[in-house]
Amino acid sequence: MSASIVVTGLGTVGAYGSGAESLRKALASSELPVLSEIDRSAGYHLSQAPRKAFLVDPALLREWVPAGEARRMSPPSRFAVATARMALRCAGWSAGLPDELTGVVISTAFGPASYSEGLLKQILLEGPESASPMLFMESVANAPAAQIAIACRARGPSVTICQREAGALLAVGQAAADVAAGRVPRALAGGLDEMTPLLHSLLDRFGALARNSGPDGAEISRPLDRRRAGCLASEGATLLLLESDGSAIERGASPLARVAAWGSAFDPTAPAVGWGTGHAGLARSLRRSLERAGIPLERIDRIVTGASGSRSGDRVEALLLKEAWGEKPLPPVLAPKSVIGEYGGGFLGAAVLAAGGAPFGPTFGFEELDPELGIVPHDGSPLAPPSTVLVTSVAAGGAVSWLVLEAP
Amino acid sequence: MNHKAVSRRVAVSGVGAVSGLGWGIGPLWEGLRAGRTAIRPFERFDNTAHRTHLAAEAADGDVNGLANDPRWQRLLSLADRFAVFAAAEALAMAGLASLEDSEAGVFFGSSTGGMFESERFFNEFLRGRWRSAKLRDLASQQVNAPGDAVARWFGVSGPVRTISSACSSGALALGAALDAVRSGEVDVAVAGGSDSLCQLTYAGFNALRSVDEGPCRPFRAGREGMSFGEGSAVLILEPLEQVLARGAEPLAEFVGAGSACDAHHMTAPEPSGAGAAAAMEAALRDAGMPAGEVGFVNAHGTGTPLNDAAEWQALQRVFGERAGEIPLTATKALLGHLLGSSGSIEAVATVLCLRHEELHPVPTCSEGATVDPELPVSLVLDRPLPLPGVKAAVSTSLAFGGSNAALVFSRWTDS
Repeated sequence: MSASIVVTGLGTVGAYGSGAESLRKALASSELPVLSEIDRSAGYHLSQAPRKAFLVDPALLREWVPAGEARRMSPPSRFAVATARMALRCAGWSAGLPDELTGVVISTAFGPASYSEGLLKQILLEGPESASPMLFMESVANAPAAQIAIACRARGPSVTICQREAGALLAVGQAAADVAAGRVPRALAGGLDEMTPLLHSLLDRFGALARNSGPDGAEISRPLDRRRAGCLASEGATLLLLESDGSAIERGASPLARVAAWGSAFDPTAPAVGWGTGHAGLARSLRRSLERAGIPLERIDRIVTGASGSRSGDRVEALLLKEAWGEKPLPPVLAPKSVIGEYGGGFLGAAVLAAGGAPFGPTFGFEELDPELGIVPHDGSPLAPPSTVLVTSVAAGGAVSWLVLEAP
Repeated sequence: MNHKAVSRRVAVSGVGAVSGLGWGIGPLWEGLRAGRTAIRPFERFDNTAHRTHLAAEAADGDVNGLANDPRWQRLLSLADRFAVFAAAEALAMAGLASLEDSEAGVFFGSSTGGMFESERFFNEFLRGRWRSAKLRDLASQQVNAPGDAVARWFGVSGPVRTISSACSSGALALGAALDAVRSGEVDVAVAGGSDSLCQLTYAGFNALRSVDEGPCRPFRAGREGMSFGEGSAVLILEPLEQVLARGAEPLAEFVGAGSACDAHHMTAPEPSGAGAAAAMEAALRDAGMPAGEVGFVNAHGTGTPLNDAAEWQALQRVFGERAGEIPLTATKALLGHLLGSSGSIEAVATVLCLRHEELHPVPTCSEGATVDPELPVSLVLDRPLPLPGVKAAVSTSLAFGGSNAALVFSRWTDS
């Protein structure tokens, strides 16, 4: 690896809207985030289950994926192609890429959930000969990556990573490694997911979602708060365009952030559907990774955590950060998932905007320090633009990933 | 710069497998040498209403005492169990008793994870029989579950990454593991894949009419499609010097990996074979090896008319006039298509062939006994082909969505 890697394009879609400006406004706001009613008509939900999620307005995609093209795609594929085109436009390639060598590395936690559900219904309820070829070919996890490749003529490596909440940062790391090694001149990388009623109801049955935890029964998530009781589910996508610093300079592109390091670790004490107690080992891995990359902890002046309001997940993430920093004080900690939700890539977009110095509002939902975690996330007061941002994400099941982004 | 500025040579120090030929490398190699297909009527699920009725099912077998561990049945899906068994066998062969104090990582491919068990849940849940649907059937449903299960079982605390790029998942995971060992990110990589038979993929591929009603016949005249298999394969990758330093003998050297996308169609391969050829060329470039040094090819060879034709085009692009002469096998004719695990079990088969200096055959079958004259490959039939002194081999994986991957292994010699 030799080349320095920069982010020159950002495409994003979520409940906050489409494009980086929509996400920037949502992150700066101190308003109650916009949530949509989840369709409960199928009867999947328990009576006390949460009723809301961060959902994408399909109208937002029409500008980017015409109806004739969209009809051959699952919702995640539409998110993928739309955000890939946004990222390319943002990077200055509205008219198309100069060659067909671009790589695609994306992550999804759950794959094309609505098409998988439809296919399972056909097979299990109507009989296997009812299975639709269209549903099948768009139900595979790598269908969105393939649709990006087709839409953008990207003939470099096409890789889909499935590692739950840790996936998006892993995807950016793998793509950065590919560009740095000279295997591809550039790569589209990021994360995406859709949130269906079935998936929403199952996440609730596993105890993952916040239920009526705000005033007047409002559904809010409380990252790092003592009373946190779950996350708010979301859908959407964020894709980044990565290229070498030299390539960006040569064509006069303006980097949004620099990818300085990436890494990952695993907590073998974690159960398959929860979090473990191995934060000390994770902290050692994080420190070792930063040392190898030549980044002293003191240089990190902002942390963007994946804390989502999950009781156990936030605990692991907070304790690993505290353990890594030891006696030293943590830099300001941003926890944006209470306004953008869990899943769908918005977190990755927030991290890139944070590295670019975007203002963040007070951490929505945080009211009371959890003495065990000992972290008070950002209160909305003005912060100097950061130079080095650590981004962390702790997945259910044990995987943990991180990225270090530097200001452009 | 993210990791140590090194590029280390990488050895395969252990392999493990579960397949339709049995649990373990012993039955796998014995069956491969004999050219004995494991594709037959199966009982994993009731397939009477499906269009086809064959698969290479991994029957219950000797699991070396693992089945006595209480975690085995309670916490692991079938795909997880395949993966843990294969990893245990591979680690034992490598002489690695524990990974808890190692800088180890897990790099896995899977297509459907614990979908077989999940179908039990959804069969109840989607009918509104909420109380009969057991959440525990979903506990290991995730695609990342087999790789995570391996990491959990062996106490791995380094990177764990699951790739789900359909039929190239296992090969792409091996490529990621190669990078991680070369760069110094890990000192031991447990790399492979796992998938079990399930109705979702069985009915899905049948819906595409890409499944042969008989055992698949890669590169044969009259071939009509693929056959399914299930199982797992794991390769232990380590820096060559580390293996030699503890007095172990490498099984092979893993010298290159490459991938490229067709960007053509969701299910049909690009007919000119350009994408598959680009993956092979990238792998050979990564290995620093001219195509002329490749002694045999373990082809993706699904047996679908379009895939085999595109692969033949790709072979001609890479090997030129040698394309029709280079010995070729297609492991799927014996094990069926293991989907997300196919790239890893075919990598294991390739390593075993290099080590034994002979190429495993595919069986002559009553229908389509002759090689398709339009695709005149040198398919090894019925008896293993001795390849004394063979230097290197390529294994290819060409997936749904045009995701192509190729791996290059070289035979280990202490000279």
